[in-house]
Amino acid sequence: MPAIRIENWERFLVSILGPSSPFGQHDFIIRRIHSLVGLVPIGAYLIFHLATNAAIIDGVAAYQHRADQIHRLGPTTIFVLEWLFIFLPILFHGMIGMLIVARGERNVANYPYGGNVRYTLQRWTGAIAFVFILWHVFHMHGWIRAEWWISGVASRFGGHRFDPENAYSAAEAIRASWLIIVLYAIGVLASVYHLANGIWTMGITWGVWTSPHAQQWAKIPCLTFGLLLGFLGLGSLYAMVAAEPPQTLVAPDTANIPPAIHASPRS
Amino acid sequence: MARHRVIVVGGGLAGLAATMKLAELGVDIDLFSLTPVKRSHSCCAQGGINSVNSLTRQLGDAEWKHFDDTVYGGDFLAHQPPVKEMTEWAPRIIDLMDRLGVTFNRTPEGFRDQRRFGGTLFARTSFAGATTGQQLLYALDEQVRRWEVTAHVKKYECFDYLGPILDENGVCRGSIAQDMVSMEIRAFPADALIIASGGCGLIYGRSTMSMACTGSAVSRTFQAGARYGNGEFIQVHPTAIPGADKLRLMSESARGEGGRVWVPRKPQDPRPPQDIPEQDRYYFLEERYPKYGNLVPRDIATREIFNVCTKEGLSVENDRLCVYLDVSHLPRQLLDRKLAGILEIYEKFQGVDPRATAMKIFPAVHYSMGGLWCDYERTAEGGLNIGSPRNQQTNIPGIFAIGECDYHYHGANRLGANSLVACIFSGLITAPGAAALVQNLNGRAAAELPSTLYDRETQRHLARYKELLARPHDGENPYLIHRRLGDVMTKAATVVRHNDELDWACEQVQDLEDRARRASLSDTGNWTNQNVIFTRALVDMFPLAKTILKGARLRDECRGAHYKPEFVFPEIHATDPVQRRLEAEAWCDRFVENNRRWLKSTVASWSAEDREPLITYEDVDTSLIPPRPRLYGMVGGDIIEQVWRERGVREEAAV
Amino acid sequence: MSNTRHPHPNGEPRASQSDGRPGRNFNVVVLRQDGPGRPSYWERHIVEYEQDMNCISVLQKIAANARTADGRKVAPVAWDCNCLEEVCGACTMVINGRVRQACTALVDRLLQDNPEQIELRPMRKFPVIRDLMVDRSRMFNTLKKLKAWVPVDSYLDMGPGPRQSQENQQMAYVLSKCMSCGCCLEACPQYLKIELERKEGETEEEFHARERELHDRAFIGAMGIAAVDLFNTNPVGRMTATERLDALVAEGGIQICGNAQNCVKVCPKEIPLTTSIARAGRAATVHMLKRWFDR
Repeated sequence: MPAIRIENWERFLVSILGPSSPFGQHDFIIRRIHSLVGLVPIGAYLIFHLATNAAIIDGVAAYQHRADQIHRLGPTTIFVLEWLFIFLPILFHGMIGMLIVARGERNVANYPYGGNVRYTLQRWTGAIAFVFILWHVFHMHGWIRAEWWISGVASRFGGHRFDPENAYSAAEAIRASWLIIVLYAIGVLASVYHLANGIWTMGITWGVWTSPHAQQWAKIPCLTFGLLLGFLGLGSLYAMVAAEPPQTLVAPDTANIPPAIHASPRS
Repeated sequence: MARHRVIVVGGGLAGLAATMKLAELGVDIDLFSLTPVKRSHSCCAQGGINSVNSLTRQLGDAEWKHFDDTVYGGDFLAHQPPVKEMTEWAPRIIDLMDRLGVTFNRTPEGFRDQRRFGGTLFARTSFAGATTGQQLLYALDEQVRRWEVTAHVKKYECFDYLGPILDENGVCRGSIAQDMVSMEIRAFPADALIIASGGCGLIYGRSTMSMACTGSAVSRTFQAGARYGNGEFIQVHPTAIPGADKLRLMSESARGEGGRVWVPRKPQDPRPPQDIPEQDRYYFLEERYPKYGNLVPRDIATREIFNVCTKEGLSVENDRLCVYLDVSHLPRQLLDRKLAGILEIYEKFQGVDPRATAMKIFPAVHYSMGGLWCDYERTAEGGLNIGSPRNQQTNIPGIFAIGECDYHYHGANRLGANSLVACIFSGLITAPGAAALVQNLNGRAAAELPSTLYDRETQRHLARYKELLARPHDGENPYLIHRRLGDVMTKAATVVRHNDELDWACEQVQDLEDRARRASLSDTGNWTNQNVIFTRALVDMFPLAKTILKGARLRDECRGAHYKPEFVFPEIHATDPVQRRLEAEAWCDRFVENNRRWLKSTVASWSAEDREPLITYEDVDTSLIPPRPRLYGMVGGDIIEQVWRERGVREEAAV
Repeated sequence: MSNTRHPHPNGEPRASQSDGRPGRNFNVVVLRQDGPGRPSYWERHIVEYEQDMNCISVLQKIAANARTADGRKVAPVAWDCNCLEEVCGACTMVINGRVRQACTALVDRLLQDNPEQIELRPMRKFPVIRDLMVDRSRMFNTLKKLKAWVPVDSYLDMGPGPRQSQENQQMAYVLSKCMSCGCCLEACPQYLKIELERKEGETEEEFHARERELHDRAFIGAMGIAAVDLFNTNPVGRMTATERLDALVAEGGIQICGNAQNCVKVCPKEIPLTTSIARAGRAATVHMLKRWFDR
């Protein structure tokens, strides 16, 4: 079998990252779907998700109640819903997004205009949010709900920390380390910025706000929305960290948690 | 049978108009240009494009009046049939450009808007903001691109035209051009060659013209045997912004809105202009022409500004000639509403806000009325026989000249906003003539000719190129010779011309030519060598420079842009009516006599042995509008006009 | 600022005074390249200060002098220019890190911002021909792809064009001032350079055809999008709007825009490019839905 030659790799990379589009004829429609998916369902889900988490501000019981409400749908429905409306769209949006990031040449050093800074941040936050979400889903959810995976892989590498029966487990998983708290703060803020700024650029891309005046004006609701969502996210995070363990429940067994995470400053 | 090809050299308004129309007529075109055609000099035209329109018609305007204004403004030196035909086409040309998408300004009802320009009483000028030339150029550029997509037109942009290829009968069979990137020299067979390469302002060093306006294409055709007409008629615009690299136009509208021209009474007063009190300012135009003030005709304004700086030594600056053009006394609101565009140009290039500080301006070489001599076929009615290959054809069979580089339409002086219409018109009418020529060729198409002719010419130009590269390195710098040429030409052959200065300039130019032919190159590479292109263009400036100087030296009169103080007709200051009448009669006699001697086109042909132009004179076709005195605001003009009119009545009665 | 691999020639002699006052000299560094595919290198020149200088007159002086700061005789710097009044679009280059027209880059202003030196380099998004000259034929190929013209029947006399509102004219005029200078493309983080090498045995025609094909698939940029906007609002151009919209949403179309909006900031003609992009985005949205539901 002939070895893969370097030039072929180069050619492959150029075909993906070079000046002409990797998606060829369907570039436009793929990008529009990418844009749309970012708002619905991903953006919508982000709002829902942060709002759900915010229940913990009212206490663990309220949070547990909210989790119960969702999980009353049953595992099969949830499986279908989360893959169809959350995981697959995020994977699609994230992977296309990474290609888009790779195919731009950021130049904010030479052109330090507001729009260019926002553009650059949009790329950075997109990349951060994508990596964060991959990790976050692994951390809380474990990616795959198969027993062999959860016990064999996910739990062993610090994943699958969230137990819907015991919603408080989320709070525990987060405050296991200050590093995790910081990562969550960064991830939440990156996602929120990416969504709020994404809504603004989407308005231009789809031709909702066209004139400079309208584009300027549209920044206000987008900014307000972003700030509110950011506060909501950080507020929930703070509440998670500060949450008291529920009295009726026994603290979860921490034997399985690897030492690195176990050694949190609060313990 | 091979398809016929036509070569167009130059992609400004004229060249693109001809290309587009030829393509429509089914002729294939090779279009050559020094720059991408969208960057041609036509884009610098600001004001607008003239034509009679439905509004002016209702005020008594007609094509004939546009014709008359143009001929009178040009001091009757233009052959009248082409001018008549052009003014008749003008409304249709504007309609066509409108259809091609030119963004002409509109009235509230959606019609094209018009403004008034110099030399006429009617608002004939259609305009697209302050960049009409650019907008017209883009519309034609787009059409030609359309033909390029269908492979009717092949563009050779960044190619330097080196000269025509003539067969043993002296018929044009193509041209030689050099790729300015790869430096490859190639022959391009063609059945007709249209020169549309624009003006030659770079002969004057700095002018309002673009860097591509070297006149080299015209000069190379001239040196190949084409004649050159009216070279000495060079228009100098009164107000331009002096710059280290170029003189940029400052539109007449600044004065139209109340701008005042002045200099400090104390030579080179060091105070900033706004600190110089009223009594220390010399509003020389207003003082000398109380009636017209700052709005005297262009040539007079130009001459006065020139004199106040050179003769009277009142230039604002020590080391540079300029006067103040002041709009700072006008309300800011008015300036922003009416003059924003041109004031921004000043601000952009000078870094000074003209709303607060007086602008520094000086006249600048602007347009060449003369150009390659070319023919026309007159109809019985005095118009042109459209479709005749004689129209715009030079004396070399198969070579046409159009646009600024032909010698028609403007006579001794061009009216504002007439150049754009002349360029498009000459381009459009040349197409059917050239098409007729190539489609009725008796012999073989150029593409079928043996390659020996082309090889020989290629070798000849290749040798010249190699000679340039191989020159010893210790010669003079061509850029410095060019600067010197510009200084000499600007001193001797612009606004005011004196025979002794012209003689001096002829000697200087001869000396500079000898030096330029020995100048050495600082770049001897064979890739994108701008040094070679420039040096070759410089060497080819001299035949035209000599033609301008010699034409000016020989023409002992004042006509349009050509002004020699020794030959000015006296004004009539007498108050006694009998004496006034006598003087006016004498004036008119002298006028008639002068016209008999000088109402002739200068026609130059190049003598390669002497490296000198040979000057002959050609009668002007003034059969449609008889010449009459040009008296814009002259003292005693009323009585001269009266005497002249009475003579006309007597002559008519005699007939 | 520069992300180039070539260091500035700091060791070379510099003009002792470069504060931009009359009678003083100042430093100019130029990123030179002898030809396509050749390495680029910085070269320092000392230029004598004069009043009212711009970067064109600086380059003219460098050409006339043809010596570097350390007195080495060199070939003059090659650069593009024509009108020198910012209407032809030829003299675009990157001056002190920012793309602009050299003719309106006034030396006084540049030295105010950076008294140390003026830095000139060619545009990065187009193949360098030599020194500061680049090949911008891709822009003109884009205009071909987009059918950026009014498709009239003939050039015969058919009377005037359709009447237009003042509002429409003003919008069209602003867009029509685009001089294809390429500033918007140079500053665009989504517009990537395409540089092809001629293969062995390939004729010029074949090479240009290959290049054209690649240009057709690559991003049209703000200037192309604005051209679609311009011709699709022209009363006659509108009749063939579908063709231009098809090109607008084809490969390399409007979808590549990332809304960084640098284009509108660097456009020397102050063309409202981002407005055009949004309007074209709206037209593309409608066009896409139509194509989906009307087929």
